[in-house]
Amino acid sequence: MTDATPARAPVQSVPRRHLPSLPVSLLVGIVLLAPLVVAAVAGSWIAPYPYDEMNIMSRLQPPGVEFWFGTDEFGRDVFSRTLVGTGSSLVMGVAATALSLLAGVPLGLIAGYKGGRTGEAIMRAMDVLMSFPPILLGILVLAVTPPAQWKAIVAIGIVYVPQVVRLTRAITLELMQEEFITAARLRGESAAYILFHEILPNIWPPLVVEASLRVVFAILLGASLSFIGMGAQPPSSDWGLMISEARPFVEQAPWIALCPGFALATAVIGINLLGDGLRALLDPRNTGAH
Amino acid sequence: MFAYTLTRLVYLALVLAVMSVLIFLVTQAMPGDVASMIAGQFASKEVVDAIAVKLGLDQPLIVQYGHWAAGILRGDLGRSLVLEQPIGPILMEALARSLVLAVVALFVVAVVGIGLGVLAAVRRGKLTDQLVSGVSYLGIAVPDFFWAIVLVLVFGSYMKLLPTGGYAPIADGFLPWASHLVLPVITLVLMLLARIARLTRSSMIDVLQTNYVKFARAKGMPESVVILRHALKNALLPTITVLAIDFGLILGGVVVIETIFSYPGMGRLLLFAIQRHDLPLIQATILIVSAAYCLANLTADLLYAFVNPKIRHGMRAS
Amino acid sequence: MMMRRLVARAVLSAILLSGTAMSVQAAGTLKVSVDSNLNTLDPAKMKGGQEYVAAYLIFNGLTVIGHDMTVKPDLAERWERSDDLKTWTFHLRKGVKFHNGRELEAEDVVATIARIQDKATGSTARVNFEIVESMKALDPLTVQFQLKSPYAGFAELFGERQARIVPRDAIDTLASKPVGTGPFEFVSFAPGDRIVLKRNANYFEPGLPKLDEVIVRILPESAAQVAALTTGELDLVWNLPLEAIEKVKGDPKLKIDSVPTSTWDGVIMNNTVKPFDDPRVRKAVAMALDKQAITQIALFGNGTPTHSPIPPSHPYYNKDLKIAKGDPAGAKKLLAEAGYPNGFEVTLHTPAGRATRERLGLAVRELLKPAGITVNVQRVPFDVFLKDIEGKAGFYIDGFFSRPTIDTSVYPWYHSRGSWNTALWSYSNPKMDTLLDGARQAKSEDEAKALYTQVQALAVEDSPGVIPYVINHINGLSAKVHGFHSHPMMFLDLRDVSVD
Repeated sequence: MTDATPARAPVQSVPRRHLPSLPVSLLVGIVLLAPLVVAAVAGSWIAPYPYDEMNIMSRLQPPGVEFWFGTDEFGRDVFSRTLVGTGSSLVMGVAATALSLLAGVPLGLIAGYKGGRTGEAIMRAMDVLMSFPPILLGILVLAVTPPAQWKAIVAIGIVYVPQVVRLTRAITLELMQEEFITAARLRGESAAYILFHEILPNIWPPLVVEASLRVVFAILLGASLSFIGMGAQPPSSDWGLMISEARPFVEQAPWIALCPGFALATAVIGINLLGDGLRALLDPRNTGAH
Repeated sequence: MFAYTLTRLVYLALVLAVMSVLIFLVTQAMPGDVASMIAGQFASKEVVDAIAVKLGLDQPLIVQYGHWAAGILRGDLGRSLVLEQPIGPILMEALARSLVLAVVALFVVAVVGIGLGVLAAVRRGKLTDQLVSGVSYLGIAVPDFFWAIVLVLVFGSYMKLLPTGGYAPIADGFLPWASHLVLPVITLVLMLLARIARLTRSSMIDVLQTNYVKFARAKGMPESVVILRHALKNALLPTITVLAIDFGLILGGVVVIETIFSYPGMGRLLLFAIQRHDLPLIQATILIVSAAYCLANLTADLLYAFVNPKIRHGMRAS
Repeated sequence: MMMRRLVARAVLSAILLSGTAMSVQAAGTLKVSVDSNLNTLDPAKMKGGQEYVAAYLIFNGLTVIGHDMTVKPDLAERWERSDDLKTWTFHLRKGVKFHNGRELEAEDVVATIARIQDKATGSTARVNFEIVESMKALDPLTVQFQLKSPYAGFAELFGERQARIVPRDAIDTLASKPVGTGPFEFVSFAPGDRIVLKRNANYFEPGLPKLDEVIVRILPESAAQVAALTTGELDLVWNLPLEAIEKVKGDPKLKIDSVPTSTWDGVIMNNTVKPFDDPRVRKAVAMALDKQAITQIALFGNGTPTHSPIPPSHPYYNKDLKIAKGDPAGAKKLLAEAGYPNGFEVTLHTPAGRATRERLGLAVRELLKPAGITVNVQRVPFDVFLKDIEGKAGFYIDGFFSRPTIDTSVYPWYHSRGSWNTALWSYSNPKMDTLLDGARQAKSEDEAKALYTQVQALAVEDSPGVIPYVINHINGLSAKVHGFHSHPMMFLDLRDVSVD
């Protein structure tokens, strides 16, 4: 399990680096993501047509001047739908990752700091969760309730909590060996103080890197869940859902699937590059890439 | 080594037991109670209740779990409520079909991925390296189901070369059977190629810089021997573990792939079970697939532990 | 070196073997696809169209609905009914054998129907046979039924999908090893994959069936179905998806076979909810909707406009009633009379996932605009739709599969005490009740026809809802398939079929 090896974090307060030049990957990543972020936030306003406006008379039209990426079987503009769907698809990934951090970091801190029985119990529980193939755990959680997008977000969050816990715990354990922690304990600082003021500030660089990796997986998992009908629901124009709905018409109207597909690829590549760049920025000693 | 394996196996059994409880509890929480689904829309309460009793759904949860778990240990996976048949044979057939996909895909990923990774490492920084990175990046940039649809379009609709759905039992002949596997396997491979290629590449690059390799080169060995016989063995270590994990990922990922290609494996069986609220089938399917995933991970860990001391031993020796 | 040669030889023989295997199969084997998995092979418990396909290949009923939608003898070669239409006696054919070798007897019929009547079986056909008070096997080849009330269409009920006759000694294993009297015998079923059937050499119709083997493949993806048909991997795609019709039509190696059914979609107006409690408003809506346009939009043209669930292909269809073109101006006038001179705004609910009905809803929205009615279409997930919308909401789209008889197609919805009436539109007109009750007791075909003709005229006049079309059942097949005709009840009649 390659995730077990944590990045080596700087041990004093985060050093002020002078940034000679930002990594290329970071820049390209930002360039790719910027329009997507804009679309995520303001999609409904900048889209040429409302995402759910059905013009049944102009259905299944190929890309053209009027409809840049053509229309689907209900006459909805594919480009507008993709644009508006950016919010849904990206938010699913980001929110789920945030959720896994929110739940996982405290658990990892406790497991690392207190150790002992509590720590063991937490880690065993995480082991059980990690023993499910990711999409299967998501399906298990979602199967028990009528589908809704927010539920999928929670499910994906649950799927990625174990990795966050492991990473947090591993870093915490390492940090516990450091002198400044021992010093703080000798000073009599409370556990809460140590956790918040000493440990937490030193964990966030590797966590940010981890989060940037996770977001991509979370977005893809979200798209997969929407694809099989357990995530976003119609008439949402979530990308996974759009691709799924495009299946019966894939031969006569492939643009319905291709547009959200390109958008998804752009998002994934952009975030990957951004993550690479962040890694290079925050930890040039352990970029992972050669 | 033996003791280590034994401890891990025992641990695995415990984890599976906990998982089974989790699975059981979660599926019990499903809405749309099974008895009324079987009875139909217009059935009266007595009919629904009668069916519930017949299925043993009125007994306390612990008792139901006990029956189910005991059955599994005996090899009885329960009875499908919808298909009204024992689950065992159906599940095993579906599992076998998914396993075929997984094994073939894994084999292709290993061969092609490692090959590409070695190539990129050896020609590091040059065009080949960039190309390999680019191609493998594409593979993971887009979800598997998108590639599946593109493949369906290209090979099914435009080129009409390969079947875009379904399955042919090997009894129908080798060619029909194999032709139905091609597109799903390619989709699975694309999904995993990048990781293997990149991992092989990095660990190859690392190994190529070690003293061990430099020493071999200094001894005058031809480059190809250096790469293939000395460097590769060591570089493969992390790759092997990832491959074993990927096997498990494929097992989970087939849910989407099998939907697109109408491939009658575990993934489609699970979705079918969920749509029909067939509790016993859902429980059995998730349990078996998760068990396979755990076994794959365990194999990865054991493999790593097994191979590692030898390598350390080998490196110290030179 | 040796190794390489061995491998080459192995590969070569594998290829040759696969070639021969394929050609051995080709003679007299029909490869069909259905679009969804079968839940059960037990006729009494069947609920879906693809399951009915299996039912009609493996089993027979006492009667069968023919291609012209009238009842024909099947396992019963003839039947009599008493003058009061309450006693029915069916005479079974002699010498019909089940696939397990045993001869069909009257007791099997009794066991089959008793099972359907049993609430524990959970059969959807139970309602149909509630009218049976008692039944008896008079002798091994004669069954007699006593009905609670007179019912002219009793014989047609046995053409229903769930009423297929099963052997009383093989009931417990029906779901996994169905045994029937039908033209094809069950060989194997791999859930999610395929059903394999082989020719019943002892089928009671001499010379039939012609095929040696039928393989029913389960392929939910429409693109895959059509692709397989094009490459010859399949010979027949049952219930061809509407989007694929143009493609199949354009291929010279393939053909389309289509037939109108009595499966209908409808624009439902709840007669107890404003503004649809006013018959003038309902009539206005009916006037504004152009049925041809609707058929084009919702079904890509593959349907037939109609007035009621009685399809235009049926002898009872009222040919004198015209299918009017949309008249939004007339609708506006009528709305003004009803007190809505400026039209009104209303929400229309459509079930998500039912493509034809969703498109129908959108068509309605477009076509009611010129009449001044603003429609807000709201898509609802299907299970929520069944729970919260059907029978409760004021304005929504719904649809129903063909029923085997005209009575069961019309009565449940149009009679004030019909089982579907309050679950749909709460329509009530004593005149309609009289007509429908009378038709049930009609002593002759002409009498029934006359009554149903009036029923249709009244349905159009009252417009409890608008039934724009009945859907065509379409199959896509290879040019190599001969003797196939699509059946209006949507099952596959493969007795006369042969493949090159």
